[in-house]
Amino acid sequence: MTDRHLRILVVEDEALIRWSIAETLGQEGHTVMEADDAASAVRALEDADGDIDVVLLDYRLPDSNDLGLLANVRRLRPRSAVVMMTAYGTPEVTEGALALGAYRVVGKPFDMHGLGSLVAAAHDARGR
Amino acid sequence: MQVPAQLFYSWHGYAMSSSHSSDRARQVLAAIFDSAVDGIVVIDAQGLIEAFNPAAERLFGYSEREVIGQNVKMLMPAPYRHEHDGYLERYRQTGEARIIGIGREVQGLRRDGTVFPLHLSVGEMAVDGERQYTGILHDLSARVTLESRLRASEERWRSIIESAVDAIIVIDARGIVEAFNPGAERLFGYRESEIVGRNVSALMPSPYREEHDGYLSRYLTTGDAKIIGIGREVAGRRADGSLFPLHLSVGEMLLGGERKFTGILHDLSSRVEMEAQLREQAALVRLGEMAAVIAHEVKNPLAGIRGAVQVIGGRLAKDSREAAVIGEILSRIDTLNALIQDLLVFARPPQPKPAPVDVSPLLLGTVELLGSDPALSGVRIDVVGSAPPLAADAELLKIVFVNLLVNSAHAMRGEGRIQVSIGVANGSCRVAVADAGPGISPEIREKIFTPFFTTKSRGTGLGLPTAKRLIEAHHGTIHIDCPPGGGTTVTVQLPLATARSSGAVLESI
Repeated sequence: MTDRHLRILVVEDEALIRWSIAETLGQEGHTVMEADDAASAVRALEDADGDIDVVLLDYRLPDSNDLGLLANVRRLRPRSAVVMMTAYGTPEVTEGALALGAYRVVGKPFDMHGLGSLVAAAHDARGR
Repeated sequence: MQVPAQLFYSWHGYAMSSSHSSDRARQVLAAIFDSAVDGIVVIDAQGLIEAFNPAAERLFGYSEREVIGQNVKMLMPAPYRHEHDGYLERYRQTGEARIIGIGREVQGLRRDGTVFPLHLSVGEMAVDGERQYTGILHDLSARVTLESRLRASEERWRSIIESAVDAIIVIDARGIVEAFNPGAERLFGYRESEIVGRNVSALMPSPYREEHDGYLSRYLTTGDAKIIGIGREVAGRRADGSLFPLHLSVGEMLLGGERKFTGILHDLSSRVEMEAQLREQAALVRLGEMAAVIAHEVKNPLAGIRGAVQVIGGRLAKDSREAAVIGEILSRIDTLNALIQDLLVFARPPQPKPAPVDVSPLLLGTVELLGSDPALSGVRIDVVGSAPPLAADAELLKIVFVNLLVNSAHAMRGEGRIQVSIGVANGSCRVAVADAGPGISPEIREKIFTPFFTTKSRGTGLGLPTAKRLIEAHHGTIHIDCPPGGGTTVTVQLPLATARSSGAVLESI
């Protein structure tokens, strides 16, 4: 719980979810970057100056429907914590994501109230 | 062929040259004797052979020279061989003939020891005051072989018909049953004796029962066949009145100039049942695919709506009416989401991950979890008994027990006591959930595992179907009873873990 000001990338194609997350985390003082598909997410991870502390990653995107993007994120930014979001998470997807180093897999919809502490916990876990 | 004594003499010119017969007659008789197809053997009153024609030589394999003067019994197998002298003696004394003047089927013994059937007719004659007997022997080997073949063939057909799994029924042109094999007895529950002589329509349900005579007479007059020579699926009616599906193929035959019809009937009950199961499976697969689409196409936007509404609601004054409305919107969204979640749990093919599970603590944990549900606050749940561990997926079993307990609580309108009894029966773990609700009528009990069937004003109708699907994925069973004392008992049986099966008892469906 060192740095309460985190740099966060939200990868999500549903605009309302992206907006809700950005608003919620922005209000708590974090910096939120947004990507609406896998390609722009990879670009953001490659180009961003400085650390990206936490990536909130949708499982299903217009150009991605497997754990390949998560593996890519882990390769490009090994120090970033990843929280997966899924509307139809099978146990296999959850297990696979955790095996690839995701901090947690959350089912959609989820409550915005708990989002700040979830992101902080994910970041703390990586910091250890 | 009876040979007159005088003529017989002339054959044997060497033994009894007679001045009474002409050379011409002698030649004719000798030619008949030599060329006859049947064997001719002449014996004297003691049974000694006096004449043995070429056909007899061929029949027995002896030459004339070898048998002349020998007792004729040498040509017979036991026991006749030993009895023949007695026969002759008795005939001489009593005149009681067994073969003489009659003829019958007997057995012959060849020189090589083989026995063969023959027809023997014996004529008696007196020559110079001495009795002699002329036997004419006709080989029956070929006829007997044919008969035994026919018999064997008939036995074979009979045993095929008797042992056939399918039912075989023969009727005459009026529809009267003439034959009803054991397969038919099993299929219809009638004894052959109960149905032979009755109209075959007794085996059919209405309206075919009433129409069958018409079908037959129409076929006989017009040749217009609906089943004959074709075969199709029809319904049968058992002795107990129950109906079942069967495949019927009918062949026509002419027997002794009369038309008969042979029906071969194959029971389709299990196939029809299996088809229904396959249809249900296919429907579940489609539902699973549909659910996956709904998950993404509904849950994702629902998540967006919920998030955005929550963010906007957070900007309203806490005590405002609008903030309360936002709260209502969120709770509606959560209800919608729960419904979709129920559908997903039901539709997704269950893939149990088996591990040793102790049912008693699992149930106690589930009951504790439900204790925090305000809808169940007035319900007391007692868990009694225990069972050895199962190889099961604890998470899936929890879903089952939550569904059963919530159903029971709803049945009691949230007030009363639910008794959960754990035990072992027939090598299975048995969990019975008994409530004190109003019970369930038999008509509703029939449909209770049908997806989306519900009696609640706000239920999805997926709780029990899901429980059933998950239990069946564990190779278990679930059934519902309404005891006479009232209430409803849902009983779940799950196979116990054994050393042999614990690794393999579960498989995904």
